Amino acid sequence: MSEPLQHRNTRLLLTWLPLVMLAGSVFFYLILMGHIRHMKHQQLQLKQNNFWQAYSLDPTAIPMQLAGEYLIAPGAGVADVEADSGNLAFLTQTHLLDGQAYRVTTFISGKEYRHLLIKVGIGEAVIFIMLLMAIIVVNRSASRRLWKPFYTTMGAVGGYDVRQNKPLPLDTSTGIEEFDRLNKTLLELLDRVDQAYRGQKQFTENASHELQTPLAIIRSKVELLIEGPGLNEDSAQLLQEIIEANDRLSQMNKNLLLLTRIENGQYPEVQRVNVSGLLERGVEFFKDYYGNEGIGTTTALEAGVEIVANPALAEILINNLLRNAYIHNISGGWVDVQLSAAALVIKNSGGVIEGDPERLFDRFRKGRVDNRTTGLGLALVRQIAEVYRYGIRYTYREGVHRLELAFR
Amino acid sequence: MKLLVIEDEYSLLNSITRYFRQEQFVCEGVSTYPDALRRIEDFEYDCIILDINLPGGSGLQLLKLLREDKKRDGVIIISARDSLDDKIGGLNYGADDYLTKPFHLPELSARVKALIRRKYSEGNTAIEIGMLRVDMAARTVSYAGEAVPLRKMEFDLLFFLVTNKNRVVSRQAIAEHLYDGPSDQAPGPEFVYSHIKNLKRTLKEKGCPEIVQTVYGLGYKLVV
Repeated sequence: MSEPLQHRNTRLLLTWLPLVMLAGSVFFYLILMGHIRHMKHQQLQLKQNNFWQAYSLDPTAIPMQLAGEYLIAPGAGVADVEADSGNLAFLTQTHLLDGQAYRVTTFISGKEYRHLLIKVGIGEAVIFIMLLMAIIVVNRSASRRLWKPFYTTMGAVGGYDVRQNKPLPLDTSTGIEEFDRLNKTLLELLDRVDQAYRGQKQFTENASHELQTPLAIIRSKVELLIEGPGLNEDSAQLLQEIIEANDRLSQMNKNLLLLTRIENGQYPEVQRVNVSGLLERGVEFFKDYYGNEGIGTTTALEAGVEIVANPALAEILINNLLRNAYIHNISGGWVDVQLSAAALVIKNSGGVIEGDPERLFDRFRKGRVDNRTTGLGLALVRQIAEVYRYGIRYTYREGVHRLELAFR
Repeated sequence: MKLLVIEDEYSLLNSITRYFRQEQFVCEGVSTYPDALRRIEDFEYDCIILDINLPGGSGLQLLKLLREDKKRDGVIIISARDSLDDKIGGLNYGADDYLTKPFHLPELSARVKALIRRKYSEGNTAIEIGMLRVDMAARTVSYAGEAVPLRKMEFDLLFFLVTNKNRVVSRQAIAEHLYDGPSDQAPGPEFVYSHIKNLKRTLKEKGCPEIVQTVYGLGYKLVV
């Protein structure tokens, strides 16, 4: 499972640091305890020696016992006794004075040592917790700073679009060698991707361009042929099919060429284009052209609506939308065109669309099998809309096709 | 009428010259820049059909030399390049018209004739076929003196047929001609039939004989 680097780092620190600290604490505790035992023993022994020395020099100088300090009693024991009850520790040893054996017991309080242990323990715990927090905080902020070039690179690469042909602002001197190398490698990679993409586009354009001439030759030969003598119904039918196929081919080729050129940004000049005028002219033509089929047209065009675009592209955009509405219509159907400053809405009657209407914008995607169209009209529309960042939506409901082009 | 076709693709050049020769044009064809230059310098033509991409030089360069020479030959550029720049560039160099490949031969023929008519008409812009009179400038049609009311599209259609009289014009060529937007975005030819039908009916109502003939499924022909 993947998680952000910082989280994993923190999690590892939180798991291992306390373990290390716990082990350290146990070790520290053991050492401390050992030393305390040693100190107690030393102290008891020191007292033993001091009191016995004082007593043996002059047995009347000090009393036989002092509560909590010592106890001197005649009699012999077998061996030394040392015990620690926690609050009180004592040491009993046998000494000889003038042939008489004495048992001397010295006492010390263990309380202070216990308190010392507790306080050292609390102090240690506080220090450890603060240390842990400091380590995590410092680690996080340091790694954030350290990884900053990485996140900058990620952001830049994430927003990269090969179609826009813009160089990426990747820094190759971030101050960290690994990131410099990463950025350099990425730049080289993108350069190769760019080259491949440009090559591909150039190929499409060149191929389409080169196809024009043979297509023109075929067309001209067929046009000579249809006037020739000896044309009969049979050969006329064959010629008709050749003409149709050739026309569709050249139409497709022109649209492909156009698509590629738009993609390649070969229509950079823009000016104010009067959409209202374009629509009026377009509607007038299509109304006349398809009017005999009984397709009715209604319009509500706001006058003087302007967009900033390439005039040729604007005309292609508008005419393709209109043509689409008329071609994919039904006999006796209708087309409704509405234009406001914000959007163009074209509605028309038409057949059922299978699947997602948005997919109709894909190249060579058609709503139905239709030999009259190239399957590139709406792809062109979308390509142009993308260039000028117009929103475009195609919806279909109960026999009504609705296409909305939002200018902003 | 004298025509010069400058086109590097031999097969296309051959089609164009053959098409125009069938209409009693004197039509010469050359396929290289030096050949074209020699012809242009030595002779005068009513119309020059000029391809832009030529071996040995650019068609635009030829056009520039021609206009610098103060020659007034009509020039129609035919080019596979159809970007707006080329079109405007060509017209700025002094071309009279511009046609993108692949074009229909009847369309080229119509453009050539329109150009020649503009050059020589001296005010008379009407074409008469029998009693049918088609006035280009006024956009009116009359038969035996009586006006024939035609819608814009039917007029354009009739005019195109008249210009290409006695020749078969395919439905595709008509559809593209009727469309006044970018030629590569013209609508399909399926609806040409209904316009022809309307045109024929209107002409018939005015007593005009059936001059528009259907040639199998291929296209139409205005027979004189």
